[in-house]
Amino acid sequence: MQYALLIYEDHDAYPGGEQGEAWQAILNAHTAFGGEVAQAGIMRGGAGLKAVQTATTVRTQGGQQTVHDGPFAETREELGGFYLIEVADLDEAIAWARKVPLSKNGAIEIRPTIGPMPE
Amino acid sequence: MTDRALDALFQQAGGRVIAALAARFRNLDLAEDAFQEACVRALSAWQQGPPADAGAWLYATARRVALDQLRRAEVRTRLRPEAPPPEPTPEEMAMQREETDLPDERLRLIFICCHPAVAPESRAALTLRLVCGVSTDRIAGAFLISEPTLLQRLTRAKRKIAEAGVPFEMPRPAHWPERLDAVLSTLEVAYAQAYQDAAGCGPHAGFAQEMLALSGLLAERVANDAEVLALAATLRFAEARRRARLDVDGAMLPLSRQDPAEWDEALMVEAERLLNRAAAVGRAPGPRALQAAIHAVHAARRRTGRIEWGAILGLYDALLQWRDDPVIRVNRAVALAEVQGPQAGLAALSALDVARLSTWLPYRAAEAALLQRAGRLAEAAQAFQAALALNPEEAERLYLQAQLRACG
Repeated sequence: MQYALLIYEDHDAYPGGEQGEAWQAILNAHTAFGGEVAQAGIMRGGAGLKAVQTATTVRTQGGQQTVHDGPFAETREELGGFYLIEVADLDEAIAWARKVPLSKNGAIEIRPTIGPMPE
Repeated sequence: MTDRALDALFQQAGGRVIAALAARFRNLDLAEDAFQEACVRALSAWQQGPPADAGAWLYATARRVALDQLRRAEVRTRLRPEAPPPEPTPEEMAMQREETDLPDERLRLIFICCHPAVAPESRAALTLRLVCGVSTDRIAGAFLISEPTLLQRLTRAKRKIAEAGVPFEMPRPAHWPERLDAVLSTLEVAYAQAYQDAAGCGPHAGFAQEMLALSGLLAERVANDAEVLALAATLRFAEARRRARLDVDGAMLPLSRQDPAEWDEALMVEAERLLNRAAAVGRAPGPRALQAAIHAVHAARRRTGRIEWGAILGLYDALLQWRDDPVIRVNRAVALAEVQGPQAGLAALSALDVARLSTWLPYRAAEAALLQRAGRLAEAAQAFQAALALNPEEAERLYLQAQLRACG
């Protein structure tokens, strides 16, 4: 089955932003983790996301669309990136989710993906 | 055969039949539906009495029902021209095998129902429903929720299991500790419900019997795990005391005041044997072994006539290393009061988060009892009143009222 591992982290986890030490450290950790996932032959995709200050949201409500600055919801923990992996079952997905690098506190949400579009 | 006898037979066979179907078809809904249908067919087929092996008959029938359902679903899929040719599913592979004996897959079903990805309150309900065959109205009654709410929880849990990819295999060694822990805590939750349910109801022992059987099954299959054995022991110690828990007026009797002659000796001996086996596994005792050991110290009173409170205090201290929660802190304070006097117990209680715990019944009741022991009767009366204001169950209410009167 294919799972998305969605990475949520505290937004104060990276003092100094992309120039800070924590940022550099987490990039290295993700490079190593990504290598391990690729080595296992289960990597199907993924990306790191830029800071939430760069987010723009298009919201549709009652047929009306508005564009505004910021993420869809203001929360302490924000989506920072994701991996797409192909594993046998939820237990394996959980085992990989445990190994996703985090700078400090955070959470990995595991979501099975809907199967591929029929041709 | 009476309807009640048939129902009992269906419930008894249900766990094994549903577990075998679930393992074969990897689909909990299909397993449950097929079993129900097999029971309906049994009602007319068994008019002259059930076959010698009712479970095998139900399994063979349910398996045919499930295969028919899958074939029909497959035909429907094939009729849609735009649908891609289906890959062989585990169900189809299962169809090609002709197996009619009834394998015991209950352990596997327990692990599926108790997966940590299923909401804790649903795990217990799902296990009771599928593995123990307890009817939904009884489960709803024990969990103090309406039957529609329970059915909704069960449906949601089954959908989660199907869609999130909860494995239908036994957990692999790497996932074993976490998966097993979820199973054991589910059993604890379910038994706690059965235990409360029974206070004041005498013979209506909730589904305690099913929980004993289930923990026994686990202890038999996972025989080298001390925590599994210890939990099976704890449930038996607790269940052995059921008759002694109420006095003639239906008021609760605290463990230390129960009459050991009222305890179920056979169950106590079985519990002690399980705990000995847990100890023989070696390794430092885990939280469930420590809890079972506390029960064992109390149980020893039926031979020695006294309670070794020093040993109990030591066990609670060890337990705190595993679980530092208010339940254990309050019980430890009670044990401390027995060893060092009520003042020491009261001091331990007031060191806790009093603001948060003052509306929690076990805290208030323990505080009141220690104040009473210390001879501070006016304060004790106040504390008993505060405890009574927290809506205790009938049996505990009667007990607290009697204590309050004794303070006056």
